[in-house]
Amino acid sequence: MPILNVEKVEKIYGGGRGGVQALRGVSFEVEAGDFVSVMGPSGCGKSSLLHLIGGMDRPTRGRVLLGGVRLDKLSEEELTALRRKKIGFVFQSFNLLPTLTVRENVALPLMLAGEGEPRARERTQALLERVGLQARAEHFPAELSGGEMQRTAVARAVVGSPEVVLADEPTGNLDSENGGQVIKLLSDLNNELGITIILATHSEEAALHTRRTIRMRDGLIERIIEHEGVLQTL
Amino acid sequence: MKAYSRLFKQFILRGLARERARSGITVLGISLGVGVLIAIRLANLSALESFRAATASVAGETSIQITGAAGRFDERLLKDLGWLRQYGRVSPVVEGYAMLGGTGSGSQSRGEFLQVMGVDVLSDRALRSYRLLRLSDDAGEPNLREFLLLLADPRAIVLTEKFARKHGLRIGGTVPLVIGKERREYTVRGLLLDEGPARALDGSFALMDIAAAQTAFNRIGLLDRVDIKLRGDGAVDTAEAEIAARLPGALKVTRPEATYGQVEKMIAAFHFNLGALGSIALLVGLFLIYNTISISVITRREEVGTLRAIGAGRPMVLALFLGEAILLTIAGTVIGLGFGRLMADAAVRATATTVEVFYIANAAAESVALHSLGWAEVALAFAVALPLALVAAMVPALEASRVRPVEAMRGAEKIAKGFRPSVRLLIISGALIAAGCVLSLPDAVGGLPIFAYLAALSLMFGGAFLVPNALWLACLAGGGFIGRILPGLNVEARLAGANLRGAISRVSISVAALAVSLSMMVSISIMIGSFRETVSYWVDQTLKADIYARPLMRAAASDEGEVDPEALARIKAEPEVSAVDAFTSRQVEYQGYPISLGAGDFQVLLEYGSLLYKSPGDAREMIRAAIDRDMVVVSESFSLRFRKRPGDVIDLPTPAGGKPFGIAAVYYDYSNNRGAAVMDHRTYARHFGQAKPNSVSIYLRPGADAEEVKERLAGATGDRFQMIFTTNQTIRREVIRIFDSTFSITYALEVIAILVAGLGVISTLIALILERRAEIAVLGFLGATRAQIRRMIVIEAVLIGAVSQAIGILIGVMMSLVLIYVINVQSFGWTIQFHFPSGFLIQSTLLILGVTAVAGLYPATRAAKIEAVRFAREE
Repeated sequence: MPILNVEKVEKIYGGGRGGVQALRGVSFEVEAGDFVSVMGPSGCGKSSLLHLIGGMDRPTRGRVLLGGVRLDKLSEEELTALRRKKIGFVFQSFNLLPTLTVRENVALPLMLAGEGEPRARERTQALLERVGLQARAEHFPAELSGGEMQRTAVARAVVGSPEVVLADEPTGNLDSENGGQVIKLLSDLNNELGITIILATHSEEAALHTRRTIRMRDGLIERIIEHEGVLQTL
Repeated sequence: MKAYSRLFKQFILRGLARERARSGITVLGISLGVGVLIAIRLANLSALESFRAATASVAGETSIQITGAAGRFDERLLKDLGWLRQYGRVSPVVEGYAMLGGTGSGSQSRGEFLQVMGVDVLSDRALRSYRLLRLSDDAGEPNLREFLLLLADPRAIVLTEKFARKHGLRIGGTVPLVIGKERREYTVRGLLLDEGPARALDGSFALMDIAAAQTAFNRIGLLDRVDIKLRGDGAVDTAEAEIAARLPGALKVTRPEATYGQVEKMIAAFHFNLGALGSIALLVGLFLIYNTISISVITRREEVGTLRAIGAGRPMVLALFLGEAILLTIAGTVIGLGFGRLMADAAVRATATTVEVFYIANAAAESVALHSLGWAEVALAFAVALPLALVAAMVPALEASRVRPVEAMRGAEKIAKGFRPSVRLLIISGALIAAGCVLSLPDAVGGLPIFAYLAALSLMFGGAFLVPNALWLACLAGGGFIGRILPGLNVEARLAGANLRGAISRVSISVAALAVSLSMMVSISIMIGSFRETVSYWVDQTLKADIYARPLMRAAASDEGEVDPEALARIKAEPEVSAVDAFTSRQVEYQGYPISLGAGDFQVLLEYGSLLYKSPGDAREMIRAAIDRDMVVVSESFSLRFRKRPGDVIDLPTPAGGKPFGIAAVYYDYSNNRGAAVMDHRTYARHFGQAKPNSVSIYLRPGADAEEVKERLAGATGDRFQMIFTTNQTIRREVIRIFDSTFSITYALEVIAILVAGLGVISTLIALILERRAEIAVLGFLGATRAQIRRMIVIEAVLIGAVSQAIGILIGVMMSLVLIYVINVQSFGWTIQFHFPSGFLIQSTLLILGVTAVAGLYPATRAAKIEAVRFAREE
């Protein structure tokens, strides 16, 4: 059974004639453990699609099912709980909280979920080591490089063992070397932990690390490309 | 809860620490507001409490008191009151004031006052605790012989140890005292330890034998009251009723605490107004809370979005920002309590003259001991500040909780959308101003102008809602205007106008806070200015006598001291004196309130004096008709408080019981807001016995030199009869001095409110600059110099000041009308003629523009430090 079903989803921003149709009926499925990239030019609807999948916005028509649950049927509180437990986010501009240290930023989802202190500490430490930031754990975001910030964000996204990680242009603000490292990290986590990852990106090179690429144009899926496991296993 | 407390520490506490300047400014603002609130409460309580302590400790175990219905009464009345003893111990009392030292002829200086109580020492010991009365230096318990010695010597006096220590007096030594009209040496026969009555008045208390006191005060055969300590407990009501039923009409029963109640009632309006004024600073402090939380939410919108995306619920976000407000308020309140304690001393000093002149007699006010900061004040400060802060923070905190998680991904818009002129805000503002007008119509509630203050509040908020539109207009026109009059600043001024226009929704709140406090300042200044003009006109019109004379002992709020008939005769005999009006006044009770009952020569008043009459039109004719008839003229405050007009009949207490008097006219009087009724001295003599005048107005023949005559009269009578002579000019100066000192605290409170609002402007500008770092950096790239950036920010600050002052004047004028025509009339019962102080307004406008420019300097310096290249690299 797919972990994610997107069924004939439409999204129109603003009402009346001036409304902008960002998605015009998009359908696809994602299996658990998959690593999918969503590509397309700016304004093609990538971000809108990720917002709907993450329960941060509601579709105008159609429905999104995560783990068999219809997101449009959930209340605001239930959506918040869903994001806390089942979804991890990686943003283009990192979105680390500037007043929290690296360790605190990574531990934040566990804290919000009410996770017990010892386990949270252990889990956070393990992930900091995994992303290579144990030496920077007590630093504040402003003291980090872009790559380090995004690695912190990735650790934060997976610390709560979510079912799906949504990454919206995570390399958009990074140079190619740091960008490559982040994509590699996501790919490794997908392989090691079996987390489903949906990656919105402009980068062809990044897309090559994923198993499938959904190409979008003008709010519609143009085509879905299967990558025959070349780069993602590197 | 655990998650909340950790997130609070990581997200809010560290955020506050990062923005130290802004957090500090907010805490300082709140603490000043709370400080003022507490200082005024302490000052008010101190005045009342010192009076209550004095009343209570002097009353001792007295359960009820018998006083004359019309003041002092003949001691012979006691002869028929032997039955009183069946109720308990009875002790007659004579009371008055003495002054330490005494002065040379014609001098104005006054020594320290002592409350003197004359009692029958033997019978009074049952009522008051003089257990530790010490009659000799060997500190033994007093014996009968020593008491008898005290009784036998009319110059014997017992002082408190504290007073004796302060003035280096010893038992057996002498002390010079002015009692009544004479200065005499008294022998210190004993010292009271710091207990019972001796504690009252900070030790300024003296005990004499009753007969000696009657002689000293020149009140032979007269008593002030009889104190009774009832046998057993719990039967006070019954005894009071029974005694009241058996007493003759000239006497009445009261309780010692009733005097306190009267004073409390009298001073309530004054204290209420002070409190209301003090709350302005707190109100402005709350604007600061709103402002700070708003800025916090606006600048951290993206972070809030991230929190929401990661799984923080709305209640968590709401609780975080409310927690921030609570924390700032707690810090501000704690510091404010300290400020309050510090400022209370100043507030007591600032209100002492008013309390002394208008409400509580000299000695009580002089010994005002500061009420200490107790749990009640701590509870009050938190009970007022916390809920208000929560209300103030609720709007921005709710806004934060509504931030959608998607804003974290999109990147929240950092600068709010440009403001467009809003008809809706204009309508809200108009409705509030209209509501203010309607609310100014109802009468006072229980003597307090509650609706009128709601009207003022409504007008204030009406002004606050005008701010966004006014700012928009100022930005549009102001930049160009400054550029035209100061061509050198053309570029900076236009940029400043454009920048500020883009940030209207951000700065509106702090501009509104500044406008509100300025409107208060304008309204109070107009009120005080108008009042000063009115009083000055009234003084010009009514103080027509060339010289005024009064006994040295006379204080405005007591009827101590009287002019000796011999002195009066000497004054009348002076060849250059053409007429003398001897004025008598005493305090009586009317409808439960103390009022002044006066007597003067209506004939002289008609010929020489000139009161300003409010009604009727033919007041002078009415006064002519009132000569030697049962008629009175009443002051405006009397007429307003008791709703009496010319033609009405009022019942005034006389030694023979209540008698009806017709009201002939109502006159303006700004010297007393308790209410006064004045009758012709012939009428007075018929009802109260021969008047013993306590002030004299002296009219000179044309061409006479007032200063010379004054010196002559002072030389002839001043030293002998302890009298003070004052020329017309001096007394006018004195009136204005008292007036100015009465209102000095008002200005102080206003300055604090403006200070708090100024802090708000600084904190807003700092926040704006932080947000606009990118724009400022771009200006740097385009070639703007640091000086230009600095000037641009200062011009923005000045634009803010200009808009605040414009709205402040507009709303302030409206509020001054409420103050003058509603609040003053309802609280104090006097009419003030409106006077527009254009000079003051021009001055204050220039001052405000200057102050806001200075306030803009710090943010401007911070802005100028933004390094374009470094900022671009960071971004």
